[in-house]
Amino acid sequence: MPLFEEDPAHLSKARLKSDLIAHNVALPPTKSKKEVYVELHSKHIDLKHAGDFSSDEEDQVQDVEDKDPEDAGIPDPRDLTDDDLKAALLKHGFKPGPIVGTTRALYEKKLRALLQSDGHSALNGTEKGVLYSDSEEEEENEEDQDRESESEGEQEETVEQSEQAQQESVPVKTYFQKGGFVYPQCFLPSSRLRAQASRNREPAPKWNSGNALKTSERSQSQCSQIPAGISRASSVDQLSGLGSGLPHEPLKESYKDMFPDAVTTPTGIYASCRKPIKGAAGRPIQFAYPDTPLSPTTLERQEVERRLVPIQIQLVVFLIVACLLYLIYVSAEDNSFSPILALLDSLSDEERSLQAETQDTAPLSGQE
Amino acid sequence: MSSTSQKHKDFVAEPMGEKPVMALAGIGEVLGKRLEDKGFDKAYVVLGQFLVLKKDEELFRDWLKDTCGANVKQQGDCFGCLKEWCDAFL
Repeated sequence: MPLFEEDPAHLSKARLKSDLIAHNVALPPTKSKKEVYVELHSKHIDLKHAGDFSSDEEDQVQDVEDKDPEDAGIPDPRDLTDDDLKAALLKHGFKPGPIVGTTRALYEKKLRALLQSDGHSALNGTEKGVLYSDSEEEEENEEDQDRESESEGEQEETVEQSEQAQQESVPVKTYFQKGGFVYPQCFLPSSRLRAQASRNREPAPKWNSGNALKTSERSQSQCSQIPAGISRASSVDQLSGLGSGLPHEPLKESYKDMFPDAVTTPTGIYASCRKPIKGAAGRPIQFAYPDTPLSPTTLERQEVERRLVPIQIQLVVFLIVACLLYLIYVSAEDNSFSPILALLDSLSDEERSLQAETQDTAPLSGQE
Repeated sequence: MSSTSQKHKDFVAEPMGEKPVMALAGIGEVLGKRLEDKGFDKAYVVLGQFLVLKKDEELFRDWLKDTCGANVKQQGDCFGCLKEWCDAFL
């Protein structure tokens, strides 16, 4: 956006164009003359410069656009200045970052894409564009519903089949040959219509019938696959296994179930936020890991450890016992030269000599 | 997602310092060479581009594709590893 006022007549056509885009003004037809641009420029932009530029004016401009929507052309983003490019992107509801040398090309591309998508939606007609989103989504939705109702129908099928299986035990092949073809058609459409009516205001009978045909075809192919010897129950199992494609969905959801707090990333890579344990590069610690719940085995181990004697004491006791055992072994090996025995002998000798001394001294004292 | 590559883990585990651009997940020798030719010789230069694009996935992927012709998986790997690095260290 130019910060200074200029006479619009002196500006180049491209500049006028870009300014008009930047100010949310619908462009005149691409081949119109410069005067038209100048007129528009003075009409919209100079008016705006008189007052404060605020977001409130967006609505006003929208009104202008609605008056002549067929005029919107696609300008070349390369002609825009960085600021104008930014303004144009903002106009399309995209918040650009800094537009510098390495990013400009990307933003130009983005703007072109946005302009093209806008032009595309304009082709579809504005009124319908408000009422309906682009057709692809709806088709997908319908397909989803289609699938759901299919699986529902098949589930019902299996339920009914199992009920009948309890009543009668007819071999599979004959059963399917007799009633298999008629059977899904006679009850499926109604159930589908019911299921569909609850979801959708206008059930499409066209693909309902197509579906019924599909399922009947499938059941036919199934009946051709199932050999006559197999009992009904197994076929019911097979059907339920095939029909409800559900087991895959919970698997997909499992991660989210386990970690509901995890942020869904656009890449689909689920990564918990990395938190530096020590403050990296001397920064203060910002995060502390919350106390994780302990597993039962860990708790058990802790309980056991609490009752045990500390390992140092265990070691000391072991060493003492080992020394004792060694001494006993040594003393048992050679009795004659056992140091303990020798010690004991010497001790007893000393005692004896002491006793002798006392006995000797006693009479002496008696004599005195 | 099943797992991330060893390269991703290595990159995300520590500050990137002066690591070459090839240390980024998804950037091998060929892409690394191309990026170096364009002046993106260190991982932090790519990080700068990543940040100046405001961590926008679409724009960063586009840029990577335009700059070195990375395929979708390489784009995703590189984006994921820078994103996670930023979450941890920024």
